[in-house]
Amino acid sequence: MSIIQVNNLEKTFGSERALAGITFNVERGQIFGLLGPSGSGKTTTIKVMTGELKPSDGDVNVNNFNYKQFRKNDYVSSLGILSDKSSLYERLTVKDNLELFRKLYNAPKGSVERVLKDVGLESEIDKPVSKLSKGMKQRILLCKAVIHRPAILFLDEPTSALDPTTTEKIHDMLEELRDEGTTILLTTHNMDEATRLCDNVAFLYQGVIQDSGAPAELRHRYKRNEVHITYTDGTVKTVDRTEENRSLLDNVLFNEEAVDVRTDFPTLGEVFKKVTGKELV
Amino acid sequence: MNMTRAMAIFEKDLKEFMKNMMLFTSVLIPILMAVFFSRVGIGAGAEGEMPPEILGILAGVVFSAVLFSGIMTMIAEENEKDTLRGLLQSPATIIDIILGKSMVVILMTVISLVASIVIISPENYWTLENIISLVLAGMFFLNMGIGLGLVVKSVATTSVYIIPIMFIFGFTPYIEMLITDPDSIGIKIAEYFPIYQHMFVLEGNAGAVEFIVLAAWVAVSFLLVLWAFNKRKNDE
Repeated sequence: MSIIQVNNLEKTFGSERALAGITFNVERGQIFGLLGPSGSGKTTTIKVMTGELKPSDGDVNVNNFNYKQFRKNDYVSSLGILSDKSSLYERLTVKDNLELFRKLYNAPKGSVERVLKDVGLESEIDKPVSKLSKGMKQRILLCKAVIHRPAILFLDEPTSALDPTTTEKIHDMLEELRDEGTTILLTTHNMDEATRLCDNVAFLYQGVIQDSGAPAELRHRYKRNEVHITYTDGTVKTVDRTEENRSLLDNVLFNEEAVDVRTDFPTLGEVFKKVTGKELV
Repeated sequence: MNMTRAMAIFEKDLKEFMKNMMLFTSVLIPILMAVFFSRVGIGAGAEGEMPPEILGILAGVVFSAVLFSGIMTMIAEENEKDTLRGLLQSPATIIDIILGKSMVVILMTVISLVASIVIISPENYWTLENIISLVLAGMFFLNMGIGLGLVVKSVATTSVYIIPIMFIFGFTPYIEMLITDPDSIGIKIAEYFPIYQHMFVLEGNAGAVEFIVLAAWVAVSFLLVLWAFNKRKNDE
């Protein structure tokens, strides 16, 4: 049974419709990506699942809790949340910040040191947060979200505007969490991130899921039937992968006429554009 | 309400309070005022006894500058920096958060008030009646700070409320310096304000009416807290 079940979720703010007919499931131990441009409804979807917003219609069940029970202590304790607006107490040290949340979640002693070690920031434990770089703060925020080893982790743009090294470290940590059985739902603009991390993704645009599936499956579904050949003299030729071109392709492959032969699998970003007609920025 | 969580928030806010110069210096203001009053003997009577107006002003400054301003600024800062949302996403409830913060400002208020009073060392200050009047007046200022703190979105906005509240409710006895006519309607109204009830108790001529008036102010301020809670809930 799926750990997250969203059925026909609707959310309106006054007369404005933010989400319409949102339906998706997430299996336990998966990373699920909600992909869409700003204003597409990603954050609203997460806020409904974390109990910050109530659905206008439809049904949402997470970790065997119905949305009507989302303010229950047991439910809240099973979640880790890192939103785009998450922040830390700048005047306090890293330890003070994390100790607060360790106590609020009733996590065992030593959890602070454990999570800091996981993100490679154990040497910064006594530093005031105000002295840390943006990338370090983001890793501390991730520590705050996972200090109690939540069953489900909601991440809203976790690597937005971070340098590649920090992004890589966060990706490694998310993969480790998934391997330990944590279910992760993340929103992102970064297609490389979604391709690398996500087991399944959903394209959200104007409050509606346009398509969903595994990244490789989506790329295959929307592939163009073309082959790009780069010849030894540098010329590039694009041909359709048809019976008429079979002899040409055989020659290219077996006569070493080409330095590069590439089938045309679109990137996830290209798939998104094909589905929605809009760039994912 | 969960005391473990409230205590975790208390510990965090106590550290923040001590590292926030604006809040920390507010504790020292009444103490410095007390030193000033005791040195220059402002208002001291023939026996050197400090008049209730000065003691009333001191209590008013402590309540408005430390208790009211402190809790309001702390909640507003959490709102402004979006850390309140982080707390609310955790198992902590808004009641745990408010309780933890209240314990910090109450502790600082007690330190500031006791130190100020010790410096002035008036006679017969710590009577049961006076302590009850201080507690009731303190509850009024605390509720006002919580209510307005939940409404304001930034620390900068707090000054819009702090200055008028401080002058109207904290410095109420100063009205006698501005309006010399004792029959003035301004004086008559001011005599129903919380700090005046405390002064009447200090003078030793208070009855049940003063305590009822104080309790009424507490009730009104509690309604403000309820309104602010509902407003915040609806806004979300």
